[in-house]
Amino acid sequence: MDIIILILIVFFAGAILTAFSGKISTLVQDILFLVTLIVPAILFFTGVEMNTETVISFNKTPLTLGMTPLSYYFALIVMGLAVLAGAYTIGQMNGKKRKGYFYLNYILSIGAMFGILMSKDLVSFFIFWEIMTWASYLIVIYNGKNVQKIGIKYFVMSAIGAYAMLMAIVITHSLTGSFLISDLISGFGSWNHGMQILIPVLLLVGFGVKAAIMPLHIWAPDAYSNSPMSYTAIFSGALSKMGVYGMVIVFLTLLTKVPEGALIRDIVAWLAAITAAISTLYAIKQDDAKRLLAYSSIGQLGYIVIGVAIGTPMSMLAGLFLAFMHGVFKSTLFMVVGAIEKQTGTTDFREITGLIRKMPWTFLAALISIIALAGIPPLGGFVGKWMLYESLIQSDHFMLVTLVFFSSTAAFLYCYKILFGFFLGQEEKEWSHVKEAPAIMVVPMLILSIISVVLGTFPQLIMKPINAAMTFYGMPDTYGILWKESMLFNKWGNDIALTPIMYGIMAVFIVVAIFLFVKNRTRTRYVTTKDISSSGEIPKEHENLTFSRGFFQPFLRAVEPVMRKQIDKYMLSFAQGVEDLFEFTRRIYNGNGQSYAIYAMIFLIILLVLGKNLFG
Amino acid sequence: MEGILLHILGAIATFLLAFVVGMTYGGIRRKVIARVQNRYGPPIYQNFIDAFKLFSKTTAVHHGAMHLLGPAFLIVSAVMALMVVPVLRDNLWFTNLNFHGDLIFLIYIMVFGPLGMALGAGQTGNPNSAIGVTRGLSQMVGFEIPWVMALVAIMIKYNTTSIVDLMKIQTEVGQWLIFQNPFAFIAAILASLGMFRYAPFNIVGAPTELASGPASENGGKFLFTMMSAGSVFAFVKLTLFVDIFLGGASNLIILVIKTFLLYMIPVLYGAVNPRYRTEQAITYFWGWPLLFGFLAIIYSVYF
Repeated sequence: MDIIILILIVFFAGAILTAFSGKISTLVQDILFLVTLIVPAILFFTGVEMNTETVISFNKTPLTLGMTPLSYYFALIVMGLAVLAGAYTIGQMNGKKRKGYFYLNYILSIGAMFGILMSKDLVSFFIFWEIMTWASYLIVIYNGKNVQKIGIKYFVMSAIGAYAMLMAIVITHSLTGSFLISDLISGFGSWNHGMQILIPVLLLVGFGVKAAIMPLHIWAPDAYSNSPMSYTAIFSGALSKMGVYGMVIVFLTLLTKVPEGALIRDIVAWLAAITAAISTLYAIKQDDAKRLLAYSSIGQLGYIVIGVAIGTPMSMLAGLFLAFMHGVFKSTLFMVVGAIEKQTGTTDFREITGLIRKMPWTFLAALISIIALAGIPPLGGFVGKWMLYESLIQSDHFMLVTLVFFSSTAAFLYCYKILFGFFLGQEEKEWSHVKEAPAIMVVPMLILSIISVVLGTFPQLIMKPINAAMTFYGMPDTYGILWKESMLFNKWGNDIALTPIMYGIMAVFIVVAIFLFVKNRTRTRYVTTKDISSSGEIPKEHENLTFSRGFFQPFLRAVEPVMRKQIDKYMLSFAQGVEDLFEFTRRIYNGNGQSYAIYAMIFLIILLVLGKNLFG
Repeated sequence: MEGILLHILGAIATFLLAFVVGMTYGGIRRKVIARVQNRYGPPIYQNFIDAFKLFSKTTAVHHGAMHLLGPAFLIVSAVMALMVVPVLRDNLWFTNLNFHGDLIFLIYIMVFGPLGMALGAGQTGNPNSAIGVTRGLSQMVGFEIPWVMALVAIMIKYNTTSIVDLMKIQTEVGQWLIFQNPFAFIAAILASLGMFRYAPFNIVGAPTELASGPASENGGKFLFTMMSAGSVFAFVKLTLFVDIFLGGASNLIILVIKTFLLYMIPVLYGAVNPRYRTEQAITYFWGWPLLFGFLAIIYSVYF
């Protein structure tokens, strides 16, 4: 049997087995859950071969499965995160209710994502896409809070995306007579002009919903923050990348053949940049870590989409690199928040303070991921951001680069808010009982942090697969031109070698840190956070000195005019309008026979009076 | 082997130069402000005395690991930024890592230190520190926009992000960038008012409101580290401005003259101004400086 089908069978059979094994014992369920995630990962990394095709026939419709270099790259993200977040999930879900339900949907969505990546035809792509949407929808409403509002928002937006995609698929079939993605790509050039615009736009709408690009993003903050954090790590880290995956294909293949491609690219890039800027401002405003990270995810996906949309070799490289990095650091951060929620019971910055000495390993993971998120060298985030800036400047997108710079500088604000809000500041008595999270939750976080560090120094580890993916879709081979080993190479001829600088930083940093740290640590004694100078007065034990309310108030006051307009409100008022229309229709069709009789009467009268004029 | 030795000695010499120049400038600033306010003021070597005093103090207490590491982050970032900025044109002693001098890299490495310091200040638990940090970060978002626009204007004009290349271009053309794109220089210099954090933009330290802000729980060697990092940073920023806009310098005397003249802009601007409120200090940069940033980009695209 083909290995891809085997993996899918393991996923779907394992999902059902895991769901029902809860009846036997929770330990069996946990083990089965982890096995269902690890076995496909092992099979995938050892067995799946590039560019093979398997065809299964369902009722005369052939479903073609196979792997391309691009899907291999995204499968790396999905499979890697699935295993690490899976291990974390066991720790986080320990003692929770309805574990079977959660595990079932978790595995189903991972399996569906794998299916999407392995699909070579649009039908199986769509089927797996819908399985993924359903499974994630069921997890979004797992908490049972605000199901009406949050669940429906997510579902309506997903439905819009799905119908757009379905329409594109049906039109494609009517034009080419085949569902194969390769036929779509090869036949696309000869279509008439209207279809050449319509199909990419419909597909971009479909993918844009999952990639949370304005104005299709409104579901994301609620859905991300309401799922259990162990799933949000997947949701934001891997599931959103499915939208990016689709976009990459559209931008690499379809839009290169259309004259209006450049315009569509610019529109999408600008939408993504505005998404990034505005959602960063919203992230700064949030007082709840989950919502903050949700908005931050939308912003970071904006950068990725900018890179993908611009579509020069370097920007594509930047976008795909950032996609991987975002998967790594953002899922770590969601895991950190989940760990804190598990240990303290809340994720509100206004309540928790000073956990650094209680949860040091969680802090370390958070610190490293924050440095990666902020794009500060020498971690991997910087490499991606640097390439994005360079590519934007090279391709003459001046205002776009300024906007990206603005949002990534503003990102420092919420980065600091996460670290300070949870870990630093006054150590209050209220949280003195908090302990470090269990090892099964901490170890995945630390592994992911190590990946962030490694990729900063050796970006070639994932640039090779990216390069393979880009050359597969007809981009020039960038290997060794844009970068050599871990040396980033600038197209204008002056090479910027990051490696020596990074090692320089590390060496100097380690020397100074050891010197100051060891020397000071031994010679000084630790004092509590109450023992501080506050204008000559010594604060008492019970006095609360925590600074956590109105954290960036002056800044928010300064940017207030920008944040007044919310796309959410327009959408809601549109929805309200539609509802009013339905209400009006309901009044006409009120189910009362008498009224229907009157309608018939009125209709007859109209016919009699105007009959001659209308039909005469 | 000799090359490496020269590099190491050169790096040390650069650091000493930056330290001495930065400290002296700090002293001159105190003197200038005193004279503007009709006081006598401290001698210009006062900063060296302060630094020596702080260095010779022993530290008794600490607030935890991040508190100890904060100043270390700061000084490392200052030194790294110094290594990347070319000090002189074509000089063997101050080469350091100049040929890698990349503007985007420099912008990011310069925030690395302050963020580390912010974490250190956060762990002390002093609310004033955290308030100062939030103000500083907010202000950074403010001045980053005109600053980046000025840099983008230059980068697209000459298709390079390398500082050394920009210096070369200025030598070849025979005209400083300040004349080639004056709007970029104005936007950048206005942004630098925020970068130096002197009045009216001294909202981070704000002695009368925040009791010196992030520095408030640090004394002795911590404060010395912060002070020297601040001096080195001031030197780095000034040298960067000279490199980008004033064609660099071929010897130390010219460098000192140029940097001193540039340094006097924020100092004198600050000497006659009171302190802004935080949101004023942010939105200031989104008025005229932003306009000049736009003009700079338009100028370099169309002219």
